[in-house]
Amino acid sequence: MARSFRDAEHLPKRRSGPAADPEKLPRQRNGTTPQMHGRYPDFNVMEDAPHWDRVTRELLEKRVAEPPTCRLFAEREQLTLGALFDEILAQERDPRVPVLQMVDAKLYERKFDGFRYAQLPDDDRTMRIVARQLDGLSELGPEQRHERVRAFADGELAWEEIDSKLAWKVASRLAVSAFYSHPWAFNEIGFRGPAYPRGYMRRNMGPTGVEPDEPQEAFGPDPVQDVGS
Amino acid sequence: MPRSNPFRDPVPSWNRSASLLDVHKRGIPGLERMAHHEDSDEVDMVIVGAGAGGCTLAQRLARRGWRIVILESGPFWDPDRDWVSDEAGSHKLYWTATRVIDGEDPVELGKNNSGHGVGGSMVHYAGYAPRFHPSDFETHRRDGVGADWPISYADLKPHYEKVERELPVAGQNWPWGDPHSYPHAAHPLSGAAEIAWQGARKLGVRMRVGPVAITNGVFGNRPHCIYRGFCLQGCKVNAKASPLITHLPDAIEHGVEVRADSHVARVELDESGKCSGVSYFHAGREHFQRAAAVVVAGYSIESPRLLLNSTSQHFPNGLANNSDQVGRFVMVQGASQVAGRFPQLAHQYKAPPPEICSEQYYETNISRGFARGFSIQTVGPLPIGWAEHVLADGHWGHALREYMRDYNHWSTLGLLCELLPQPENRVRLAEELDSHGLPVARFTYSQCENDRANIAYGKHVLEQIWEAAEAQDTLTIDRYAHLVGGCRMGSSAETSVVDSDHRAWEIPNLFVCDGSVMPTQGSANPALTIMALASRFAQRLADKRVASGPSARARSSGEGALA
Repeated sequence: MARSFRDAEHLPKRRSGPAADPEKLPRQRNGTTPQMHGRYPDFNVMEDAPHWDRVTRELLEKRVAEPPTCRLFAEREQLTLGALFDEILAQERDPRVPVLQMVDAKLYERKFDGFRYAQLPDDDRTMRIVARQLDGLSELGPEQRHERVRAFADGELAWEEIDSKLAWKVASRLAVSAFYSHPWAFNEIGFRGPAYPRGYMRRNMGPTGVEPDEPQEAFGPDPVQDVGS
Repeated sequence: MPRSNPFRDPVPSWNRSASLLDVHKRGIPGLERMAHHEDSDEVDMVIVGAGAGGCTLAQRLARRGWRIVILESGPFWDPDRDWVSDEAGSHKLYWTATRVIDGEDPVELGKNNSGHGVGGSMVHYAGYAPRFHPSDFETHRRDGVGADWPISYADLKPHYEKVERELPVAGQNWPWGDPHSYPHAAHPLSGAAEIAWQGARKLGVRMRVGPVAITNGVFGNRPHCIYRGFCLQGCKVNAKASPLITHLPDAIEHGVEVRADSHVARVELDESGKCSGVSYFHAGREHFQRAAAVVVAGYSIESPRLLLNSTSQHFPNGLANNSDQVGRFVMVQGASQVAGRFPQLAHQYKAPPPEICSEQYYETNISRGFARGFSIQTVGPLPIGWAEHVLADGHWGHALREYMRDYNHWSTLGLLCELLPQPENRVRLAEELDSHGLPVARFTYSQCENDRANIAYGKHVLEQIWEAAEAQDTLTIDRYAHLVGGCRMGSSAETSVVDSDHRAWEIPNLFVCDGSVMPTQGSANPALTIMALASRFAQRLADKRVASGPSARARSSGEGALA
């Protein structure tokens, strides 16, 4: 029998090597998750949409149905930043949350986050400089690409124009803020999303804390090798 | 404590806001009947900023006959129409115009600590409403650090009690600081908070439920909390208190005008050295609102910025700034969070983030090796907040996705460490201009050694709690919370911006009424104290202990029967 996620041996800090291979996770059977794997194979948050208040429902339905197209980043910048965001979020294949396009829309509309490090320009210009500095990223092989982003994340890149450590903060914040706003990511992690006007009743731990329509966590990856493999 | 009367009306007689709301709609009813004043009409008071300070002050004084206009830079919210149960979609609730940050330990602004729109940042605060401890008002005398306030806990205590009734605050009897009880009972706990409490109990850390400004029972037309966990995105339920629903309905009923989308550019002076009113931008045009008194209530970044931008012949370095005190001593709390991982599903999103709290480490204990202390509180990050937490622990790529998929197994505790006021932690003007052509704020922040020792100790306690709870893994993020100081009150013009009556030392009819007046911050969330300060200030003005008051015309108009 497959082990459950009650133990924590799948967690990166508990493993001495790299993160576990997500390909061994359950396939999504209902709705969409990024790359179609996750913990909750039968959970599709959008099925709750009829219970949401109108403004929230329209916003999330639009986020899924109408991904934006790039208006800020030039073609070459799109290639580089697309590769960067794919690395930060481990989105190696479709279906992908359109993070590049979502970040482009936010910056094009100048919806900044309310602060700017004195050493950096506004986030739109910072990201264009990042694209220039990482130019060619999309043409590298998987291992070299990963290594280059690792060097960026670990502050090993010395750029003349801007402080690369602060630029990593901007790029990674923009990436996760876009990705984890998307209902496909809610499906992957078992987040029930907007809970208004219904709210929650059962909040305790253990089996009596589970509501009947709550996402059910699948068992973990099967450690038994297939015969013959 | 006021003597408790089980038959008393749940909604206090001095503020009927909760009864003036509509059961079936979230927005304030009857706005089409709101008072309107002409720019040329000299009102008794113009207040800059519709947040915790400005709205509470306006509500109190309107009941005493003052004719008041509140100018708010952001929009007038209708929660049904404008707010969503979604993290990314709540971007508009925050002050997102550019501010420049620097220093050794720059403080990220925006969604974490800065509001925009009627209701201010209480619209998106978590809801914790603890009082300050008596020691917070005299940290220099007691512990040799920080500053002493020109007022004491006893001055604020009756106002804490009043405001707790108005919000109302729910929680267990409070054993720390000045022990007290709350008008509403404590909310039930979620599994995520229970497991944190188990760890704390094993370690010997005492916890209490609350105090949160979230209804837990009958309170006028405000509904009970539905535990959906979106407190930081604006409460669409009207269960969590913000001045939009706790003070403005009553203020507007008593004649206050709130003028939204009105960004104040400068406080103007007349030839005699008194304020004559404020210049502001509305719908692309510059206006001038005349007023007999001006109250700046824009919080710790925008209040100093407005004063610094208000230069004149008498005040070349900014209004009320001839002692170079405006913008100094801005404080944030060290708010590192440590999350613990458990075999069971904890669903930390299924409850308001504020659940339980400990103030056991609040006061100075010299054996810890630093002055002052911290409090411990639950927090319940939603997915974007959780992703920022995982990212801060150093994970991206597949490791980030793995920890994110593990979301439902985690529970998170946060610190509020009292970081000390320092003169060089300050707001100045940057060279950059905003969309109105006004210089934006530049906020410089660096921790001192005491701050670093406090945060390190607090994080160690959180780690120990999770170890005692038998957590399988932990993740840590270093961050800050809240803002106070920048226009602090004090006992002399050389070391402060306003006196104990919130009056600028150098201008007789200029006042500051927001979190920026605080000389220290304790380890308590500041909202309740900001409201209590405004309540006290209003009483001082209305009882004429401070020389400023409603015009003769207002008093004779019949509207201002003394409440």
